[in-house]
Amino acid sequence: MSEESVISQTDIEKAINSVKAIKDGPRALQLYMDICAKCGTCAEQCHVSRANPQRRTNPAARSDLIRKLYKQNGSILTKIRGLFNGQSNNLSPEDIETWVRDFYECSGCRRCAKFCPFGIDNSVITRKGRAIVHALGMSPKMMAQTQEMSDKFGNDEGQTYASFMNAVEFLESELQEEHGIPIKIPVDQEADILFVPASADLVSFPETQMGCATFFHAAGLSWTMSSEAFDGANFGLFTGDDAHMKRKNKLLHDACLKLKVKKLVIGECGHAYRIAKRIGGAFYWGGDIPYEITNIFIIAAEELARGKLRLDPNKNPEPVTYHDPCNFARSTGVIEEPRVLLRACTTDFREMTPNRDYNWCCGGGGGLAVMDSKEGVKKNEVTFLDYRMNVGGKMKLNQVKETGAKYLAAPCANCKRQLMQLMDYHKMDVRVGGVFDLFDKAVILDK
Amino acid sequence: MGGIKIFIGEILPYITLIVFLSGITHKILKWTKAAQGKMTLYPAASTPGDKWKRIVKEIFIFENLFKGNKPLWAGTWVFHVSIALILIGHVRVVTDFPLLWQVLRMGKEDVDTLSTTLGGAAGLVIFIMGIYLLVRRLAVQRVREISDKDDYLTLALILGIIITGDIMRFVTHFDLAQSREYFVALFTFKSVAVPGDPAFLLHFFLGQLLIIYIPFGKFLHIPGTFYSKSIIYQE
Repeated sequence: MSEESVISQTDIEKAINSVKAIKDGPRALQLYMDICAKCGTCAEQCHVSRANPQRRTNPAARSDLIRKLYKQNGSILTKIRGLFNGQSNNLSPEDIETWVRDFYECSGCRRCAKFCPFGIDNSVITRKGRAIVHALGMSPKMMAQTQEMSDKFGNDEGQTYASFMNAVEFLESELQEEHGIPIKIPVDQEADILFVPASADLVSFPETQMGCATFFHAAGLSWTMSSEAFDGANFGLFTGDDAHMKRKNKLLHDACLKLKVKKLVIGECGHAYRIAKRIGGAFYWGGDIPYEITNIFIIAAEELARGKLRLDPNKNPEPVTYHDPCNFARSTGVIEEPRVLLRACTTDFREMTPNRDYNWCCGGGGGLAVMDSKEGVKKNEVTFLDYRMNVGGKMKLNQVKETGAKYLAAPCANCKRQLMQLMDYHKMDVRVGGVFDLFDKAVILDK
Repeated sequence: MGGIKIFIGEILPYITLIVFLSGITHKILKWTKAAQGKMTLYPAASTPGDKWKRIVKEIFIFENLFKGNKPLWAGTWVFHVSIALILIGHVRVVTDFPLLWQVLRMGKEDVDTLSTTLGGAAGLVIFIMGIYLLVRRLAVQRVREISDKDDYLTLALILGIIITGDIMRFVTHFDLAQSREYFVALFTFKSVAVPGDPAFLLHFFLGQLLIIYIPFGKFLHIPGTFYSKSIIYQE
């Protein structure tokens, strides 16, 4: 929140009304208001709560920020319980300010839901809290800016048609240089597949983007990118802004129809895939959408099983470990496919512990990876960068150390940024990149 | 004393029944009617049958909790199993099963011995586990910091019910013939003497308070678990 903005009484009423509305809201939210028994199990299983044990990082306490307000303002049934706890009915401007910090300290990784005896997914409450501060215009600067940028340009990086085409040309010349043959990145052509990465891959993680292009080439698939929809990233998931999420998802849908593709293939971006496949897709645009929504890992694993790819694992001899992005492992079930690929592309693949759907969050989930400044509090607090390096990323750092890996594959633009910074900050000799970066090295192409 | 007896024994039970049934029906209808988007937590169940298998497994062995917190799992699993055993045992408070005992070739004394041994053991175990849960709530910082008054109140209520129950079992040796006669009268809307054992009255009173509180407080985790697990397990 910016220093000068003032939270008015109307804002507070708006926040309270939004909490009240939970009583007719989604089933999960209603249940989560009612059934938590305060057993404290989530506190043991949350990376933030474990790294910095105090009341405010306790997932149940964070969820109580909303829950308590709901109980005082909800139906008669919930009011009775609110009465027992005797909290005051006030929500102060300071409370709402700290909500910004508190709801962004949770990365929404959903690990707590794996262990909660009632399956409570605290990320749903976190997102509700973020939606409330967003509606008041109080979302963290980077969140709000990224959404504005995306609404204006259709991608989070603010790329224009010209800069996108430049990036494509540059990547094509890099590919030519690396492989000695022309590998095309088709744009705006009718094809079987529309490939959509996170737009950050084009600028910040070009090796990943190149690896994906090489894969399509090697597998002989008919694919294209769209100059109007080349960014699957969607901060509406992070800010709780459903309208934005749908707007951004519509770009992908429209591009699929325009280019008459059979498949929408999302790249190395967990939350992009979650929105395209689980939240948007058929739910937004009807069950009869004329294309299938899938992911590059899924089709790559299929092509590998079909024997269509020749790979030389000796090209990647260093110890490699894999970080399961929460939106792949826990929220979309893409768990084994990246491993199949990594094993085929490397000689020394090492699992971290815990892994798969029990992995620790990188500490950059839920949009945190792009947040560096102080948020939600005016002073005497660390910046989000400090927080990510010392609290949010602590469990992951220890896990990576234990593997002894020199390359950390993390197929998600958020995870990549967070983990690169984390390795730098703690002076770890570990390179961070995507899975397809390694594929690009291991693949044997027909010349 | 007479007034209290009439209230607890002849008026409150009907109130309890009405409040509990309408409260829980309201909640369940509300949950059922609420819309819900997909929010599967992977790996997901592939079929509805598979989903229910996982839910039932969770209900019986608390698998999530076992993975998440072993000491709490042990304590609370024993706690809940004791509740289940005790609830089954409580059927004999209302009625008896002479035919079943005949089939099992058990005489009245055998049945009483069984009841005393199993019921007595469960009564003691649940008391210890109830105390464990209270001590844990007070002693473990991560639990204490999220505990509210209603967390302590519900625990105190449960402990009150356990203690009065154990008093009837071990001290006043409550005669079940009295309660059976009473409950038959209650269900047929006839007036009959409410058992006068103060431990019974208090136990029955607290028990009814608990039932009344189920639709309003954390006990909603009993029906709620089926719904919340269903949301995250289904593909």
